[in-house]
Amino acid sequence: MSAVQVTGVSKIFNQGTPKQVDALIDVNLTVEPGEFVSLIGPSGCGKSTLLRLIANLLEPTTGSITVNGKSASQSRLDQDYGMAFQQAGLFDWRTVAKNIELPLELKGWDKEKRAARAQEMLELVKLPEFAEMYPWQLSGGMQQRIAIARALAAHPPLLLMDEPFGALDEMTREYMQGELLRICAETSTTVVFVTHSIPEAVYLSNRVVVMSPRPGRITNLIDVNLGAKRTEDTRAAADFFTGITAVREALRGTHADHANAGAVRGVEDR
Amino acid sequence: MNRFVRRAAYRTSMFLLSVVLVVALWEMYKVVGPQDGGKLFGAGVLPRSNDTAMPHVWTMLSRYGRPEVRGSDKRVWVVVLAGAWFSFRLSIVGFLLGSSIGVGLSVLMSRFRLVERGLLPYLVVSQTVPLIALAPLVALWGGKLHIFGFEWPRWLSAAVLGAFLSFFPIAVGTLRGLASAPAASVELMESYAASWKQILLKLRFPSAIPYMIPAFKLGASGSVVGVVVAEISTGLKGGIGRLIIEYAREATADPAKVFTAVFGAAALGLTMAGVIAISDVYLMRNRPKETSS
Repeated sequence: MSAVQVTGVSKIFNQGTPKQVDALIDVNLTVEPGEFVSLIGPSGCGKSTLLRLIANLLEPTTGSITVNGKSASQSRLDQDYGMAFQQAGLFDWRTVAKNIELPLELKGWDKEKRAARAQEMLELVKLPEFAEMYPWQLSGGMQQRIAIARALAAHPPLLLMDEPFGALDEMTREYMQGELLRICAETSTTVVFVTHSIPEAVYLSNRVVVMSPRPGRITNLIDVNLGAKRTEDTRAAADFFTGITAVREALRGTHADHANAGAVRGVEDR
Repeated sequence: MNRFVRRAAYRTSMFLLSVVLVVALWEMYKVVGPQDGGKLFGAGVLPRSNDTAMPHVWTMLSRYGRPEVRGSDKRVWVVVLAGAWFSFRLSIVGFLLGSSIGVGLSVLMSRFRLVERGLLPYLVVSQTVPLIALAPLVALWGGKLHIFGFEWPRWLSAAVLGAFLSFFPIAVGTLRGLASAPAASVELMESYAASWKQILLKLRFPSAIPYMIPAFKLGASGSVVGVVVAEISTGLKGGIGRLIIEYAREATADPAKVFTAVFGAAALGLTMAGVIAISDVYLMRNRPKETSS
């Protein structure tokens, strides 16, 4: 059973009006359990829309999506996935531990179980001493790690991430990439990851999905052969650069129609 | 903690300084201002500075210590304090009533766009009706209305008018606050399949608090104004509003007396605002400091 199965999905906003936007046309994608898949493409290619469709925050216009063999809406209700955004989006009025407990609270877990799980997650992201601090007292990278801990608190098999490291500086970003790989390996979580960064996509992924705008569609699926264990040395490896070049060339094709960029506003401005 | 003490000391001294300044201005005008008022470019804009219109500060203060009426053993400060306490309780009832109505309406309006569109214009119109026009009408309910064995007491009319002035800023401020939750946070809650009620309680209300506190401050002072005006226009006995008109009748003979009641009403408003300010400090204690209002 695949972790995510997207079959013949189209998403059209404002259908039948002058403001109609073909965000996604006939998208097919299968993500296997334990796989790390990145979605990359220029603005308006619908990568964030695709992520939100998988999360059931949007309904597809046509086609079907299953997550862990269930319909997307059922798996949202069952909290089969966790989600992280570019903004960590932690609640200012909750301590770090209480932020991590949020999804568990919504699931109706009792207090002791929640506290124990929050502590476990804090250790996973290596911030155990920050439980009683407030989010605004932490750095951006720490906040993003807490957001990942929150997304994984209920031990969902799938993690959906929308440019989670987009707002971080380069050094923190590379550190976070390493941490994310370690965390996903430890928890054997499947990840669908939206990014703008080619090196990030290649470094993290087993497969990179290259998308193109107007209408949003998948143009290439690129396998990355960097092995299961990636370290800082991977960033200097020849295979890493081979992967980057392959993705870059695939993306270049998608930019052919960039002359009329801006004619349609990017969907992921939302 | 040390910084907290220093800041509190600074604030207190600034407040005392402002009191001294106001007193100095008052007394200075009494020295330089025209005794019987003055005209500026033909219009009578300069207030009279004689002792009937503007008693000395010390005259007003000492009036608190003297009996209310000649021969009585009740001193003015006792009467004013009792009146302020009476009006304070009514204001609290009005404020609680007004805030439940205000918050309730804002929740309804944030839940249903249709309600917001339909209701909000009426709420705005309701605030343009002068309180003086409404007061006798609501006062009429006193002693006449019986709802399921509940007899409408006269004091409740004053509290209702307080609620009438306080619900509006609270409804509008809370509505704005409930809508202030970031879209990404709402999306996050939806990704957890949170119900409308869970999103309201765990996200929307906490995000609304920085908007609600100034709204509640307005509502609290509105409630005081409503109660005092209702007391004046319906003649309800026992409160500070009634004291103001009673003492105002003696303004020529005993000008300092009416000021004692006016200051009592001002202190009442300040106390209400202080109650909200304390809850502000408590509710915002763990928030980033720049958002506190």
